[in-house]
This record gives sequence, structure tokens and C-alpha cells, in this order.
Amino acid sequence: MSHLHIPDGLMPVWLWAGGLALALLLLARGSRAARGRSPQHIAYQGALGGLMLAAMAIPLGPFEYHLTLAGPMGVLLGGAGAFQVAFVVSAILALMGHGGLTVVGLNALVLGAGATVACRAYRAAAGRLSPAAALALGTAVGQAVAGGLWLVVVGLGMRLATGWSSRGVAPDARLGVFAGIAVPLWLLGIVAESLVAYGLGRFLGRVQPNLLPRSPEPGVAASAAGPT
Amino acid sequence: MIGTLAQIDYLASAGRTPWHRASALGKLLLALAMLIVAVFAPGLRLLLAVHALTWSLALTSRLPGRLVAAAAGYPLLFSALFIASQWDGTWQTPVRLLLRPLTASLAAVWLVGTTPYPDLFAPLSRVLPRSAGDGLFLTYRALFALLARSERLWRALRLRGGLTGPARRRLALAGGGLGTLVVHGFERSQRLYSTMLLRGHSGRICGCRHYAEWSRADLWVALAAAVLAGLGVWLWGKP
Repeated sequence: MSHLHIPDGLMPVWLWAGGLALALLLLARGSRAARGRSPQHIAYQGALGGLMLAAMAIPLGPFEYHLTLAGPMGVLLGGAGAFQVAFVVSAILALMGHGGLTVVGLNALVLGAGATVACRAYRAAAGRLSPAAALALGTAVGQAVAGGLWLVVVGLGMRLATGWSSRGVAPDARLGVFAGIAVPLWLLGIVAESLVAYGLGRFLGRVQPNLLPRSPEPGVAASAAGPT
Repeated sequence: MIGTLAQIDYLASAGRTPWHRASALGKLLLALAMLIVAVFAPGLRLLLAVHALTWSLALTSRLPGRLVAAAAGYPLLFSALFIASQWDGTWQTPVRLLLRPLTASLAAVWLVGTTPYPDLFAPLSRVLPRSAGDGLFLTYRALFALLARSERLWRALRLRGGLTGPARRRLALAGGGLGTLVVHGFERSQRLYSTMLLRGHSGRICGCRHYAEWSRADLWVALAAAVLAGLGVWLWGKP
């Protein structure tokens, strides 16, 4: 419940256009900050982006529900790197008709916010908890934020008329029905993503612990690849 | 979804229609124009006309009917959600809320179904920041590199009983499986980086330059653009 499947033409223009502009701004800023990074880091981002894309393409139940892996990506790549991956993955999915092209910016913002929060929560907890527990906690917090943003964005989109009709304002009762369906899915998403993150953290902690950041500098590959 | 992605990828390269021979840049601009008209069209007639135009493009590109139908049908669930929330008692509003996303998704499928990904990403990577542009190529490539590996992983998980038992155990095991893919991705990125250096990587993946090579097939794209422009001028102010 943290990825917008909303197709084109349904959200208010100011909402998707504003989201797209903000996402491009953050992308440009992140790209400038990443200039000193090794191309290997970009290759690593690409590899994890492929994983995120694969996870998003596998429906796990009704309503096209699927994992996003935004939390683990935020921890492994850092907030800025994960935001870039989220933008790229959203753009590729939109080109395949999976969500609208106009909501790519909103998607990237929602997923990127979840990833950034997950990264910070992980770093705060990493000293006190095991890697698996810290990754699960970070993912849970990130997923909660991303899911909350998702609900706000979709709720806003449904609440506001898209310009066709002045009568197109949804009554609160309809929004209540939407919330009744979406909130349980959101909670389910937090649990599912956290459990997957726990398994991921447990595996990485045993097999390749250097991929999990412990220091204030997030992302492995940043340190593993080093400047070239 | 991944099967559809692989099918679209194959069709984009193997297709032999004029749309497949036309330049990626022209098709990208046409698809964007159709998307803009679909989203901003003030009246139903224009929207219907643009919708008919996208159907004609999708059908003449000889994409499998099942694929086109899947793309056309994808937005239906979420359109229904919005239709329910914005129901105003008229038939026009639901039709508009259905036609807009259907038109946009058909245009997207026509574009990706007739354009190989290096040609499609090359112009996009030139307008996006460098790392995001490179990320488009590397992410798409990584997906296909991961496909066979992830299929083997899920099969092994199933055979060893990893997909049985309580959901908590299954999800944690799936996370462990994803961990192997993360480690593989990291090792792959090291090999990929070495390959990029060997091939003379200059700091940016530019993709090929075919995307702006114009041919006679582009006349069809120009014709479709002219029809779209004509429809826009003729029907813009009409209900």
C-alpha cells in the first residue's frame, strides 16, 4: 500500500504536476550530490532497482497488492540512492502501463519518503538491535510513512474534483469506505514488508554483513566500491 | 507482469510494421501528445476521437490482442474506484474517467511495444539527471538478468518446503531468498563495472543514436500527429 497504481487522467492536475516537479527537483539535487560516486554504485543501484521492479511486478493477492522493498532499499542504498531507484522503477512500470506516467513523480516521492525514513530509523536502531531486527524496524517505520502518504495522496485525489464537474466532490461516506478497505491493507503491508526485511537482514547479517550500513554513511556499495 | 514485460521487450525488437521502423523520438513525442490531449481534453467528443486514434495505432502495430486488452483493462479497477467516488448521476463523467486512463495506457503500450528499450530510454536519459538516466538502462537490464535466477530461487524454496507453514515463516524465508539476490546484485555490479571500464565507459551511458534516425516510416507517425492536431483544433471547444 505504498505504490500508486492510479492511471493517468484521474488525479487533479496540480497534484500530479506538483509531485512530478518536486520529484525532478529532488532527482537533480540527488544526482548532483552523487557525482563523486563510483559508477559501480550506480550499477549496484541498477541491480537493486531490478530487484525492486521484480518484487513490484509479482502480485500477492487482491487489489494487485505486492511488496515494494522500499525500506530495505533505503537502508542498503541510503535515502538519495533509493529515491533515484524509486523514480526509475516507477518510470519503467508506468511505461509498461502499470500505473500512469503522470503519477511517476508522486510514486517516487511516496516510495522515496518511505525509503529515507527507513534508512534513518535503521541507523538509529542499528547500535542497539541485531541487523535483522533493525532492518525490520526501519522497514516498518518507512512502510508506515509511505503507506500514510499513499492514503493522503489517493484520498486527496478522490476528494477533489478533477476539473470535469463542480459536483465531483466525494462525500465523506465514500471516503470512509475507501479508508475501510485501504487501512487494513496498509497495516498488512507493514507486517509483510517487515517480515521480509527481517529475513533479508538475517541473511545479510550472516552472509555479507558489510552490505548493511553500521556507520553514519549509508550504503554499502558507496564504501565497498570507493571512489575511482 | 514479468512475462508481459518480456513479451513486450521481444515484440518491440522483432516487430516489422512501419511503427517499429519509425524513429523512437517521433513516437515518443506522439505518445506524449496523445497523453496530454487525453488528460486535458475539455469535451467527450475529442476524448472519444483520441481514444479511437490510439486503438487504431495499437491494432495496426500487430501487437497480440491479449496484450493490448490487458493494457487496456489494467486501469479499470482504479478507474472504478474514482468513478464511485465522483459519481454525479450523469453518464458523461464515468465515460470520461474511463476513457482518459484507457487512452493513456493504450498509447504507452503502443509506444513500448514498437520501440526497443535502448531507443526508448536514450532520449529520456538525455533529459533526466545523469545517474537517473543511467539507472533506466541498468535497472531494466538487471531485471532480465535476475529473472532466471529468481525463478530458480522460488522453485528451490517451494521444493524445500519454504512456501509452507505459517505466513510469518514464509515471508521471513522469502526475505532470506531476496538476500541471495541482493548479494548476487552486488557481485554483478562489480562485474558490470569492470565490463563498463573495459568498453570505455566515459561517465555516462548514452544508449544508441538510432532514436532520432528518421525514415520513411516516420511519415506514418507524422500523419498520426497531423490527425491528432486536426482533431484537437476541430473538437477542442465542443462538448
